[in-house]
Amino acid sequence: MIHLAGPYLLAAVLAGLGTYGVLARRNAVLVLIGIELVLNAANVLLVATSAAGGDRWVAGNVLALFVITIAAAEVSVALAVVLAVFRLRGDIDLSRGHEDDGAAS
Amino acid sequence: MARLVVLLPAVAAAVGLLAARHLDRRAAHLVAVGGSLLTLLFALLQLVAVHADEPARAVRTLAPLHAGELRIPLELQATGPVALIAAVVAVVTWAVQAFAAWYLRDDDRYGVFAATTSLFSAGMLLTVQSADLVLTLVGWEVMGWCSYLLIGHWTRKESARRAALKAFLVTRLADVGFVLGVVALATHAGSTAYPTVIASYAGDSPTLPMVLLLVGILGKSAMFPFHDWLPDAMEGPTPASALIHAATMVAAGTFVLAQLFDLFAASGPARWLLALSTAVTMVWSALLAFGQSDLKRLLAYSTLSQVALMLSALAAAPAKEGPAAGTLHLYSHAFFKALLFLAIGWLSVTVGGTAAALLRGGQRGHLFIRPAMFVGLLSLAGVPPLVGFVSKEHVLAAAEVGTIDGQVRPGLVLFAGLLTVPLTAAYCMRAWLVLDDLGRTAVTRHDTDTATVGVRWAVGVLTVLTVVGGVIVFTPLLDLRGHVSWWAVLMSLLLVVGAALGVRALSGGEDPAVRLVGASMPRFDTGFGIDRLYLAVVANPVLALARLVVFLDREVVDAYVRGAAISATLGGRGGHRAHATERAASGLAWVVAGVVVVGLAGVALW
Amino acid sequence: MTSLDVAFAAVGVIAAASGLLSVTTRQVVHAALWLVVSLGSLAGCYLVLGAEFVALVQVLVYVGAIVVLVLFALMLTRAPIGPNREVSTSRTHRVLAAVLGAGVTALLCAAFWPLVHHAPPVRRVETHTGALAEQLFGTWVWPFEVLSLLLLVALVAALAVSRMARAAEGAEDSVLDHAGDGDAVDQPTQDVEPA
Repeated sequence: MIHLAGPYLLAAVLAGLGTYGVLARRNAVLVLIGIELVLNAANVLLVATSAAGGDRWVAGNVLALFVITIAAAEVSVALAVVLAVFRLRGDIDLSRGHEDDGAAS
Repeated sequence: MARLVVLLPAVAAAVGLLAARHLDRRAAHLVAVGGSLLTLLFALLQLVAVHADEPARAVRTLAPLHAGELRIPLELQATGPVALIAAVVAVVTWAVQAFAAWYLRDDDRYGVFAATTSLFSAGMLLTVQSADLVLTLVGWEVMGWCSYLLIGHWTRKESARRAALKAFLVTRLADVGFVLGVVALATHAGSTAYPTVIASYAGDSPTLPMVLLLVGILGKSAMFPFHDWLPDAMEGPTPASALIHAATMVAAGTFVLAQLFDLFAASGPARWLLALSTAVTMVWSALLAFGQSDLKRLLAYSTLSQVALMLSALAAAPAKEGPAAGTLHLYSHAFFKALLFLAIGWLSVTVGGTAAALLRGGQRGHLFIRPAMFVGLLSLAGVPPLVGFVSKEHVLAAAEVGTIDGQVRPGLVLFAGLLTVPLTAAYCMRAWLVLDDLGRTAVTRHDTDTATVGVRWAVGVLTVLTVVGGVIVFTPLLDLRGHVSWWAVLMSLLLVVGAALGVRALSGGEDPAVRLVGASMPRFDTGFGIDRLYLAVVANPVLALARLVVFLDREVVDAYVRGAAISATLGGRGGHRAHATERAASGLAWVVAGVVVVGLAGVALW
Repeated sequence: MTSLDVAFAAVGVIAAASGLLSVTTRQVVHAALWLVVSLGSLAGCYLVLGAEFVALVQVLVYVGAIVVLVLFALMLTRAPIGPNREVSTSRTHRVLAAVLGAGVTALLCAAFWPLVHHAPPVRRVETHTGALAEQLFGTWVWPFEVLSLLLLVALVAALAVSRMARAAEGAEDSVLDHAGDGDAVDQPTQDVEPA
C-alpha cells in the first residue's frame, strides 16, 4: 500500500530542479544534466502510474523504458553537437553571444 | 461647300507642315497662300449661293454619333450670317498669309507659322459654320491651341513664351465654363444640334448654362476680368495678332452667342453679366489705349474696346431685334483692325519696332501705308461712311431701342458706348499724330521698302473693304431688323469731332499721350497693375492651396505610411538588438518561460 | 505512512537532494557525479514502486552509459577542475530560473492535487518481468522497432555532426595556411568588412 502523493511530489520537485538546471547553467553539458532530471521526473510519474495498477499492456513500465532509450539517443546527438560547437568556438558557454565575433574563428 | 471651306485650310495646314519640314520655304509659302486663296474662293462661292438660293441649314459632316441618350449630329450650317462671316475670315486669313510671307521672310520657322495659321483658320471656320455644340467646342479648342502656338512663335524670346502661356492659361481657365455650359445644354436637350437645343428651352430658363458659356466667351474674348492676356499677346508676330486678336478668335465668342441668341436673350442674369463686363471693358481699355507707349499695344487695347462693343450689342439688343448688330460690328471690325495691324506691322519692319517713339512720323512719305492707316483709323473712330461707322451706329441703335423699352441694361450699354466713342476718337487721333508727326520737318521717304506684291494686295484689299464694306446692310445677308437712330448718329459724330479736335489742340506738336499722361505711362503699359491683381487674387491663393495640399499629403496622409515604415524599422531594430548577441541561455529562458506560462494557463483555465 | 511510503521517502529524498546539488554546485564534474547519485536513487525508487526491470535498465543505461557520455563530453570540452564561478549564469538569470522552476513544480502539483487530495493508499502492483516482456514484444513491438531505428539515426547523426565540425575546422586551417603566402594576410577579413 503506498500513497501516491510521494511519487507525484518527487516528480514535481525533480521537474522543477531540472528546469532550474536548464536555465541557470552556462555550460552546455550541465544544461543537458538538467534535461535528464526532467526526463527522469516523467519516468517517475510513469512508473508510479504502473504501480497504482490498472495500466493495460504494462504501459507505465514500457513507456518508461522507451523514455530511457530516447533519452540515450538524444544525449548522444546533443553531445555531438556540443563537441562540434566546442571545436568551432573554443568553449561552450551558452551565455556568450556574438560580441567577439571572429575572435575564435 | 461648307465642308470644303473647313477642310481646305486643315489640309493646307497638314501639307504646309510637311512642306516646311521636308521642302523649302517657297513650297510652304505656296501651300499657305494658295490654300487660303482657295478657301476664300469657296467661301465667296458659298456666300453667293446662300445669297441667291436657300441657305443650307444642316450640312452633314461625319455620321451622327450616339452617346447613350445623347444624339450628336455633327452638322454644319450655311445661313446668311454664317456665310458672310466665313467669307470675312477667309479674306483676313488670306491677307495675313500674304503679309506673313514677307514679314517673316527672315524667320527660319516661317513654314510652321504658316501651317499653324492655316490650322487656326480651319478652327475658326469650323466654329463659325458649326450647327452643333461639339463641333463648336472642337473649333474653339483648336483655336485656343493655335493661338498659344502663334503667340509664342518666337520661342527664343522669354517674354513671348510667357505671353503665350498666359493667354493659354487664362483662356483655358475660362474654357472650363464653356465646356460645362455645353454639357449642360446638351444634357438638357438630349442632343447637341443648335436647333434642337434652342427648341428644348422653349419654356425653361437657360440661365445656368448660358452663364457658364458666357464665362468661356469672356475669357476668349478677353473681357474684364480676363482681359489682360490680350495686350501681352502682342509679343507674337504682327500677322498673328492681326488674325487672332483682331479679326477672328476674340470675336468667335460673339458669333457663338449670336448663333445661340434665342437662348441668350431668354436668360436675364447672363445678359446682365455680359453687359456689366463689356461696359467696364469698353471704357477702361479705351482709356488705357490712350496712354500706351507701344502702338501695337494701343491697337490691342482698342481691340478689347471694340470687342466689348460688339458683345454689348448682344447684351443690349431686345430679343426681337436679334443679334445682327453684334455680327455686323464683328464683320466690320475684322476688316479695319486687320488693316491697322498689318499697316503697323509693315511700318515696324521699316523703322524697326512698334514703340510710339520709334514710329513717330514713320508713315510720312509712305505712299501706301499712309492712306491705309488713315482709312483704318477713321473707320475705328467711326467716321461715315466707312464700315466702322455703320456698324457702330447699329450697335448704338440696338442699345437705344432697348433703353426706350425702359430696361436698365441696354441703358447701361448705351451709356458706356457713348462714353467710349470720344475715347476711341481720342486715341485714334493720338495714333495718327504720332505716326504723322506734323511737327517734324524732315521727311524720309520710304519708297524703297521691300514689301512684296502680296503685301500690297493684302493691305489694298482690306482698305477697299473698310471703305465700302458698309454696303452689306443693304443685302439681306444679315437679318438687320434694326434701324439707325439719327439722334445717336448725331451725338456720336459730335463726340468724335470734339474729342479729335481736343486731342489735336492739346498735343502741341508732341505725342498727346506724353503731354497728357506723361509720367504715368508705365502704369498704363502694365494695365494699372492688373498682373499684380491676378497674382494676388488667383495665383497666390492657388499656390497657398497647393502648399496646403502638399503639407496635408506629406504630414497627414503620408504620416501614416511613414509611421508604418518607421514602426517596422523600430521593431526590426529592437528585435535585432534583442537577438544581437544571440545568447543561447536567454533563448532557453524565453522558451521555458513560455512553456510554463502556457501550462499554467492550461491548468488554470481548464 | 505505510512502510513502502517510508522506503520511498528515504530514497526519494536522496534523489531530490542530490538533484538539487547537481544543478547548484559550482564544480562541473561534481554536477555530473551528483547526477549519478540522483539517478541511482531513482533506480531505488523504481524498486520501491515494484518496477524491477526499469530500475535495472535505469542503472545500466542512464548511469552506466549516459552519465559516462556526459563525463566524456565534460572532459573533451576542457571542463574546469575545481570550483568555478562562471559555471552559472548571472544572478538575475538564476532568480528567473528559480522562479520558473518553482513555477513548474507548482504547476505539476496543481495538476496532481485533485488526485492525491484525501486519496487512500493504493495497493502496489508489482510488474512481472515476464509480463513486461510479453507486452514489450507483443503490443509495443512496432514502437520498439522504431526506437531501434531512432537509435541508429542518432548514431549516424552524431557521426555526421562531428564530421561537419571536422570539415569546417579543416577549411579554416587551410585558409590560415594560405594566409601565410604573400602579403595577403588581411584578405579574408577585408572581403568581409565592406559587406
